[in-house]
Amino acid sequence: MRVTICEDSTLFREGLARLLAESGFAVAACVDNADELLAHVGQDPPEVAVLDIRLPPTHTDEGLRAAVTLRERHPEVGVLVLSQYVRVSYAVELLGGRTEGVGYLLKDRVSDLAEFAAAIRRVGSGGSALDPVVVEQLVGRHRQPGDPLGRLTERERAVLRLMAEGRTNMAIAERLAIAERTVEKHCTSIFAKLDLEASAHDHRRVLAVLRYLNA
Amino acid sequence: MATHSTGTTASPRSPRTSASRSRGTTASPRSSRTSASRSTGTTASLAVAAGGAWLLVVTVLGAGQEVIWRNGLIWALGALAGLSFLMIGVVIAREHPRNQVGPLMVLLGVAWIPQQMLFLPEDPLWALALCGVWAGVACHLFLAFPTGRLGSLPHRVVTGLAYATALVLSAAQALVCLPLPAPLRHIAVTLDASSWQAAVLISGALLVLTVKRWRRASVAQRRAIAPVTGASIVATVAFAGDRVADFFPPNPLQLPAALVMLAAFVAVPLAYLAGLMRSRMDHGRVAELVVHLSRRERPDTLRDELAVTLRDPGLTVGYWTAEQDRYVDADGRPVDLDPGPGRAVTRVDQGEAPLAVLVHDAALLEQPLLVEAACAAAALALENERLTADLRARLRQLAASRRRMLQWGEAERRRIERDLHDGVQQRLLSVAMTLGLAEAAGAGPGRAVPLIGEAKAAVLAALDDLRAVSHGIHPPVLTERGLAGAVKELAAVSPVTVTCDLAPTGPLPQSVETAAYYIVNEALANVTRHAAASKAWVRLARHDGHLLVEVGDDGAGGADPARGSGLAGLADRAEANGGRLTIDSPSGEGTVLRVVLPCA
Repeated sequence: MRVTICEDSTLFREGLARLLAESGFAVAACVDNADELLAHVGQDPPEVAVLDIRLPPTHTDEGLRAAVTLRERHPEVGVLVLSQYVRVSYAVELLGGRTEGVGYLLKDRVSDLAEFAAAIRRVGSGGSALDPVVVEQLVGRHRQPGDPLGRLTERERAVLRLMAEGRTNMAIAERLAIAERTVEKHCTSIFAKLDLEASAHDHRRVLAVLRYLNA
Repeated sequence: MATHSTGTTASPRSPRTSASRSRGTTASPRSSRTSASRSTGTTASLAVAAGGAWLLVVTVLGAGQEVIWRNGLIWALGALAGLSFLMIGVVIAREHPRNQVGPLMVLLGVAWIPQQMLFLPEDPLWALALCGVWAGVACHLFLAFPTGRLGSLPHRVVTGLAYATALVLSAAQALVCLPLPAPLRHIAVTLDASSWQAAVLISGALLVLTVKRWRRASVAQRRAIAPVTGASIVATVAFAGDRVADFFPPNPLQLPAALVMLAAFVAVPLAYLAGLMRSRMDHGRVAELVVHLSRRERPDTLRDELAVTLRDPGLTVGYWTAEQDRYVDADGRPVDLDPGPGRAVTRVDQGEAPLAVLVHDAALLEQPLLVEAACAAAALALENERLTADLRARLRQLAASRRRMLQWGEAERRRIERDLHDGVQQRLLSVAMTLGLAEAAGAGPGRAVPLIGEAKAAVLAALDDLRAVSHGIHPPVLTERGLAGAVKELAAVSPVTVTCDLAPTGPLPQSVETAAYYIVNEALANVTRHAAASKAWVRLARHDGHLLVEVGDDGAGGADPARGSGLAGLADRAEANGGRLTIDSPSGEGTVLRVVLPCA
């Protein structure tokens, strides 16, 4: 899987490149600003673009804006945003109503190499990877009274939460130490409670997550 | 310019020193002086003419040269008394047209004429019938002093009695000389015989009332009324003595009593005239005030200048500050408008707007025109001083909020230092130690791997700590997205539904952005904590060089900045940035918090 890295801190950029190469990714390019990233992706689209939020020249939100642009221009390219801080409003802006091929993680997550690599792979193959901190904040937000989420059981909510982080049923089963079939049963129950009609399974999954995130 | 006085002592006010009469005018002392000096000539001519007419009447009607020479001293003193009342009465009536003392003195001068006739060998009957009337007028005058009006009921009753007895007893005196039928004559004789008791009784009542008024007066008031009061007391006592002596002739006290009484009567109008001259001089000081004010080099001497002009060393001047909705002195400290007994408060307005207050000796209420003239003369200086005082009051407030902000900042830095020390530094130390252990473990990977994992966990925890600390130093979201983005983030994570109405503000100074961010943050935190609201809103708008920050909710209301320290902190933050915080929080109707920050 080919990855383009955009990060202005040399230390982190080179470290990340080494880490990814180590984990079996092909690093297509390493750039240090958003314009170059957009140019590179345009010329030679990778499977995933990994980028920081704060980038030159102003070191404010260049990375976030570049990520939104990338998702519009190149829907086939997965976009994984890394940051020292995670913000609910950024997540909402980044998702833009679609959970396909998008990720938003704390930079700290690179320290768990296996987990980080799995997240990149998910994003690269059209899945999502949302930081648990973001999910927690998104869910902790205001809820209208009569929200169907109120009807979920504790366990169903835990499943939905992990689903929102972008994990597969297998990963959820592993995390909660239950059988994968049980996870599937929970999913069916969740979809029913959220009034999501049976259709393509993945589609319902995305809708459930979006509803959960209130995004 | 308008003045409104409220005395704390029950002092008579001269009639209709109305605010409306002088509203909006700035008295020019020069012009008032010119008009005064122009009318002085007319007044003098009028007084002299009245005096001449009086003398003519008295001499033509009654006194031949022989009469005058025979009664020499007492005739002259009597004439002097009548003349001085008449002439000074004319002067006072001209000077103070609204004060009834002038007409009363003129009346007394005229009523004196029959008295002056009694030196003839054969008392004319008409003079005999009217010779007591002046005593009634004199009683009226003494009780009505210094305003010319009778204040309380006892004053009116005693005056009424004095007039009644004066008329009835004089008439009885005249009737006694007529051949009358027996019963009528008997009544007249009885009445005439009781005249001295009536004179003593009424004089006593008059004395009691005069002494009571004296005791009620403030020290400064006493100074003003002392000459006239003294003369009138002596005159009253001598009058009673004279009447008693007259009734038991021949009597060695008869002449001295009459002389003392007449001398005291001459003194009354003269004392009044002296007081009048003094208040003229007071008004002259207003002119000096104008000159001083135009020449003064230091701007903060206005109070001292006014204190000299009004002869009140304890004078306090308070200036209106609209900002604080109260009066403050030149240093910006609030002025006590309930100064206690003996002091009075006079408000000075400019048009409809409050300008200043004077807290002064209650005696000055006797001279409202002086206070008004002084204030009018000092109006411009007062307005200047008011602006300065307003500024000082603001600076004082600002300094206080700055100090609190500095203290807050200091405490915050200490907290950050402690967080770094207890958190990040300790964790990095433990990482160094753990890595040292791993290094020492060397070849044995089975022992090194868990140590490295431990070190990694400590580093990640240190990162967490750092994030929290740097958020405390400056919210990263503000750096990344500016104020609007940061407010959206605050709205997004708030447990209460928050709608944002964020008009484009353009680039703002960083201090304003930070202040606005913390204000919204704290306000939304308050909404969550206290308001029990179902929804809230945040509004940002910029106009006229100001940023408006508004946070409202539909919750319980009743927020009071005096109680919650959170709201006080918000006010401090607003003030430290030169802004203002207002809170509209009726109980049960939600809360709207508005901050206006200058950002020109």
